[in-house]
Amino acid sequence: MGKKYTYLQWSAVIMFLLSGMMLTAAPDANAGKDLFKANCAACHNKNMKDDLTGPALGGVQERWAGREKLLHDWIRNSQAVIGSGDKYANDLYVKWNKSQMNAFPNLTDDDINSLLLYIDGVFTGAIGGKPVAAVGATSAAPEQKSDSNILYWFIAGVLLILSFMLLKVVKSLNSLENSKDGTIAEPYSFRQLITSKSLVGFALFALIVLGGYTTVNNAVNIGRSQGYSPDQPIKFSHATHAGLNKIDCQYCHDGARRSKHSLIPAANTCMNCHKAIKVGSKYGTGELTKIYASIGFNPNTDQYIANYDNMSEADIAKIYKQWIGDSYVKEKELPALDDNGKIEVERQWAELKSSLTNENKPKIQGPIEWIRIHNLPDHVYFNHSQHVTVGKLECQKCHGKIQEMEVVKQYSSLSMGWCVNCHRETEVKFQDNAFYNSYKRYHDELKNGKREKVTVEDIGGIECQKCHY
Amino acid sequence: MKNKEQNVWTGIEHLNPSPEFLENANQEFLHGQEEIPIPITEQSLSLSSNRRDFLKYLGFGIGAATIAASCEIPVKRALPYVTKPDTIVPGVANYYASSFVKGGDYCSILVKTREGRPIKIEGNSLSPVTKGGTNARTQASVLDLYDTNRYQTPKKVESGKVKEVKWADLDRDVMAKLNSATGIRILSNTILSPTAKKAIGEFTTKYPNAKWVSYDPVSASGLLDANLESFGDRVVPAYSFDKANVIVGFDCDFLGTWISPIEYAAQYATNRRVEDVKAAKMSRHYQVESHMSLTGSNADNRILVKPSEQGAAIAALYNAVASQLGSATISGPKLNDKASKAMAGVAKDLIANKGASLVVSGSNNKYEQILVNKINDLLGNYGATISFNNASLQRTGDDAALQQLVSEMNAGSVGVLIVIDANPVYDLPNGEQFKQAMAKVGLKVSTAAVPSETAVVCDYIAPANNYLESWADAEPKRGSYSLIQPTISPLFDTRQFEASLLVWAASPAYDTKAEQPYYEYLKSSWQSGMFGQQKAFSTFQSFWDSTLHDGILENPKSSNAGAFRGEVADFGSKLTQPSSSELEISFYETINVGDGSYATNPWLQELPDPVTRTVWGNYLAVPVGWKGEAKYDTFKGLKDGDLVDLEVNGKKLRVPVITQFGQMPGTLGLALGYGRTEASVTGKNVGVNSFNMASVVNGATAYSSDKVKVSGKVGTEKDFSCVQYHHTMGVTGTDNKTKQKINVDELAAVTLGAGYQGSIVPRTIIRKAHVSEVSKFAETLHEERLGHQALNAKTLYRKHDEKYKTGIHWGMHIDLNSCIGCGACSVACMSENNVPVVGKHEVHRHHEMSWLRIDRYFYGTLENPNTVYQPMMCQHCDNAPCENVCPVAATNHSMEGINQMTYNRCIGTRYCANNCPYKVRRFNWLDYTTADLFPSNEYSINNEKVRFGADNLTRMVLNPDVTVRTRGVIEKCSFCIQRVQEGKLTAKSENRQLRDGDVKSACMTACPTGAITFGNINDPESAVSKKNANSINYLVLEEVNVAPNVMYSAKIINSNESLDA
Repeated sequence: MGKKYTYLQWSAVIMFLLSGMMLTAAPDANAGKDLFKANCAACHNKNMKDDLTGPALGGVQERWAGREKLLHDWIRNSQAVIGSGDKYANDLYVKWNKSQMNAFPNLTDDDINSLLLYIDGVFTGAIGGKPVAAVGATSAAPEQKSDSNILYWFIAGVLLILSFMLLKVVKSLNSLENSKDGTIAEPYSFRQLITSKSLVGFALFALIVLGGYTTVNNAVNIGRSQGYSPDQPIKFSHATHAGLNKIDCQYCHDGARRSKHSLIPAANTCMNCHKAIKVGSKYGTGELTKIYASIGFNPNTDQYIANYDNMSEADIAKIYKQWIGDSYVKEKELPALDDNGKIEVERQWAELKSSLTNENKPKIQGPIEWIRIHNLPDHVYFNHSQHVTVGKLECQKCHGKIQEMEVVKQYSSLSMGWCVNCHRETEVKFQDNAFYNSYKRYHDELKNGKREKVTVEDIGGIECQKCHY
Repeated sequence: MKNKEQNVWTGIEHLNPSPEFLENANQEFLHGQEEIPIPITEQSLSLSSNRRDFLKYLGFGIGAATIAASCEIPVKRALPYVTKPDTIVPGVANYYASSFVKGGDYCSILVKTREGRPIKIEGNSLSPVTKGGTNARTQASVLDLYDTNRYQTPKKVESGKVKEVKWADLDRDVMAKLNSATGIRILSNTILSPTAKKAIGEFTTKYPNAKWVSYDPVSASGLLDANLESFGDRVVPAYSFDKANVIVGFDCDFLGTWISPIEYAAQYATNRRVEDVKAAKMSRHYQVESHMSLTGSNADNRILVKPSEQGAAIAALYNAVASQLGSATISGPKLNDKASKAMAGVAKDLIANKGASLVVSGSNNKYEQILVNKINDLLGNYGATISFNNASLQRTGDDAALQQLVSEMNAGSVGVLIVIDANPVYDLPNGEQFKQAMAKVGLKVSTAAVPSETAVVCDYIAPANNYLESWADAEPKRGSYSLIQPTISPLFDTRQFEASLLVWAASPAYDTKAEQPYYEYLKSSWQSGMFGQQKAFSTFQSFWDSTLHDGILENPKSSNAGAFRGEVADFGSKLTQPSSSELEISFYETINVGDGSYATNPWLQELPDPVTRTVWGNYLAVPVGWKGEAKYDTFKGLKDGDLVDLEVNGKKLRVPVITQFGQMPGTLGLALGYGRTEASVTGKNVGVNSFNMASVVNGATAYSSDKVKVSGKVGTEKDFSCVQYHHTMGVTGTDNKTKQKINVDELAAVTLGAGYQGSIVPRTIIRKAHVSEVSKFAETLHEERLGHQALNAKTLYRKHDEKYKTGIHWGMHIDLNSCIGCGACSVACMSENNVPVVGKHEVHRHHEMSWLRIDRYFYGTLENPNTVYQPMMCQHCDNAPCENVCPVAATNHSMEGINQMTYNRCIGTRYCANNCPYKVRRFNWLDYTTADLFPSNEYSINNEKVRFGADNLTRMVLNPDVTVRTRGVIEKCSFCIQRVQEGKLTAKSENRQLRDGDVKSACMTACPTGAITFGNINDPESAVSKKNANSINYLVLEEVNVAPNVMYSAKIINSNESLDA
């Protein structure tokens, strides 16, 4: 009889402890650090004191003092704030040569608070590094936050003490009861404890739940490849093209606005620029020559090669080896190709050949066979133009910060839940598109305040045959 | 009349059901010995074994899941263009104007291409000939491009062995023979291309002893010769069925197969619609025939005459018209009493509509056609409903010239025979004779694209391109030109026949070094020809670009045909003489395989013949006899699918039988175009060849015979496949226990107890009325519908109106009066939606997959009934009974009123199919699309080695926007959801409201008569909303309260009731 009380009490204690741990969803400088690294570090100096691509972030809260909500908006989508006509925002924008800051619509208020906590911590020296001469007094906000944290810990502690006390009481009551029966209460041995039915039962139960959860989770994830970032035949860097050089995504992916496919650009799109830029900033001739060999452009003469399709591999090799060699000589300012140069030419040529050919494509000529990263199952219909042209979504929303990726990886899970969630949350630009005029009821409801917004779900965006037909 | 059935019926089994039929009809799918038997043994029933099985599956499941989870996802590659063409955006369809031409069959089309692959044919609405309509053959033609049986290289036959050769070698050999040959003959079917005719002209100029002979497998020689004699112009005149108030067809299938059916059907339908109930007016159509043709089934009155009485019938009509108009009559052969009485009535109608009537005949007897000309002349139809301006050139064949060729060949005076895409060995009555004569020809060259009976006996095969790979032009009617442009590079090493002829003629105008030599030739031919005849364009380039864009060019030309001349007084003996034989047979062309050249197309083989509703083969149509008092018997007691021995003109065949209402007693009917022996795998040995049963009379082919013998039942057809009794709604039968009439597909509901709403009221599938009482009918209909609606309003469920009235709500209207049952929509649907072909055996098992079927119902007199065709597809019910029985919610409703089917969610319980009152849901019993991983689930449609659709070539025809369904899932009409989504996206991208016409379903665009209208019913201005307002509209099975979104307008008939008396 008494044992039950005991274990009940134990579990109560565990529950309390757990709940105490779960309650700590307050701003956290560590989370802020991760967020900073993931989102901000590319443009903002991590010492928070010096400018980089973007301004130093130290002291940002003072600068936006009293306008915390606006600061949050600014971080989520600076262009929107600029658009709203805020003077400070516009001045800042002009000051920084109108270079746009990426939008981070996914950041929650908690995320931003964590981020600000971290920035302030680094700036004031509270986190890492040596303390700096105080530029301004540390703000009170972080202290307030830690206040509530302490409160949670305090409650948890009190509850813990309470449970121990209760435990003691129950134990005493038990022994009292037992002694009434005349039996002498013997303390449980450890062995008894761990082989008791209840504990074994509980362990089994936990195992099944945990195992089940893991199995289902893994099964659901079969076929998904979030984070997939295969090596491509050409080491094309989005960080260089989209990040550094700020080429618009749709310059190359021109299908995104008008087709279901975003389209990998044809080699002749590359040639628009690389007819002139023949040596790359990172790999020299190593990667760019692959494009020339695919399309049949002779960089020595700046001419397209006639009848390239029927050219033998030896002839092709001659042209491009010469180009690689000449470039090498030019770069090293050598009088002629030296031994190292010859090795380099052969290395680049071998690399080129292995990149442009495979078991199904013996010829060097012809399309570059990229490795497809984003794969949807055949029974899913997805249309880029619907999202880019009509929905006016940023590419980054689904593809992540592509402008920072050296090697592209699959940023989103592309799972159905991920799609559906977004369709549930995303507001349709209802007023901007005449197409939606026929949804009269929604317009009326918006007008008379019965409805705040129309989401994609409201116009049937999570119905099966929007994507499966 | 006692033999009048007030309600519609589907066939003999419906009126007089056998117990097996009731049993089968009550089941969604046929169960018989074909089903894989599951042996029930003691072990399989014991419980312990089941547990062991469970453990086995559990073990396998876990193992498989582990393996699957640890397997790496295969690496997929993405190939961009090297140099992207400006006009192609992958993922966006391009449309090119072109023309479908096969022999004399013509249709102006738009070819839909995706990533450079033609995948769908649409009608070209700019064409004044076909007006945007299509037919089944046109729709299916895109599949021929991807036929795996096409010749892929030029071939040479050397001592019985087929060798691949190079074009250069073939050209050298052929030209050497041409230079030394005595007589050269080019044999073709009708050629519509003026530039091809020019090329033939160059060829015959180069080789003066060359001559071009053309013929048509289903000949119109008699008609052409008659017009030459009557008017001095050997053409088919332009008919205006839309201007005729009274139409008389003598064995002339002008809606299905005769000359230019798409054009005629569109004209015909304009005068058959009833849009204004108060002033209902429509044309009256009499059809005089023995076998029920597609056209006959649409007629208001059918007058039954034996095939041999056709001449007598025409003479009788002539006499009736002439006597009433005071002209001289002739002493024609004797016609049966009933028909000759009817002819008087017909003549009265015709005379009452002088100048607004039309008499046409499909006869191949010149004198009968002259007599028909005379009738039209007497009625003043020339210049009114018939014109020689803009005359049709779609049949130009000459039977006499062909028969002369046979004798020339036999005489050994033909050195070289070039057969252009024709198949005389198969499709001539004396094909065997032709084959023997061919042996005497020195060199035989064929330009066939696929193997044919004629091609295989030729020495060289110079394979032609598919029309979708070729440059060409066509002149279907005088002054109406259209262009054919390639929409894909030739898939194989082939060359269009015009190019071959020009190469062999060593034409100086043909620049073989040009990139596209025939394109240059065609252009220069147009520059010197059509460009000069027009005034709209000043430069050739702008003229050419515009014409190529539109696909058509109108250059009206007048005819030099004179007035009718000639005497008919002595024709009595020249007409076909009625036979005293007890049994006669007629041979007819079907809409699907036509003259047999379409037999290689699986889509057409699987399209049910509209009248007999049979697939994959031809069936001997035998009459159903009426013995009075609702008692029927069939010819010799034969049943559907029985095999008989048929002997015609001494030739014997074993054929299966189909019992056919409307088949005149004492006559039989058998379709042409089947029984190909050398064809692609699809067409090989499907059905029997009846061409060789026809005969040559006075140099012209006659498609009937009176020397017929039929045995009794000698066997049963394996896999008899007629879809008439598949997926029936509300077929009534007599319950064996209660002896009461019940709806057989609700047998279960009845036995469970009365009170089930659907079974206590008569089922309203077809509504029909006579044109004279339309207003009254509309009133009764309205009352009846109110009754249904009142019952339906008594529901516990809440209405979804608020949801459905917001935004778009898709709906469809089908005009049963415009629908002629031609099946174009059905094939268009297969093409658009990747509907699989399942083959004869599977159809036999009720497993056909078509999303859109055309149901055929009879009504009226039992011995000579009227027909109504009803296209039936998913009705997208707002109260869909399929949706609430799905255990996994794989089928549900969209707020736009579309009943959605999600294949990847479906687990195949088939509850939905069971619960669908319209029986429009289809289950993938086998892996019809070869999308599965397990070959054992795949199937074969005609014993082919590589499964149909499994090879990459055939798969190129698939629509990339529609999922290819796997085994074990249900599918059905989606209202072309991919088109709906595309139309909406276009409107959104252009920042505008959806316009009517932005979204058209595939069936709607395919229809030649405009019977189907699709659109947004929330928009009061849309075409479908306006059509839905017609007061003769009804909903099929409205009483079962499923709230369908497809509305039908009632069938209205304009029969001459006095003829029946």
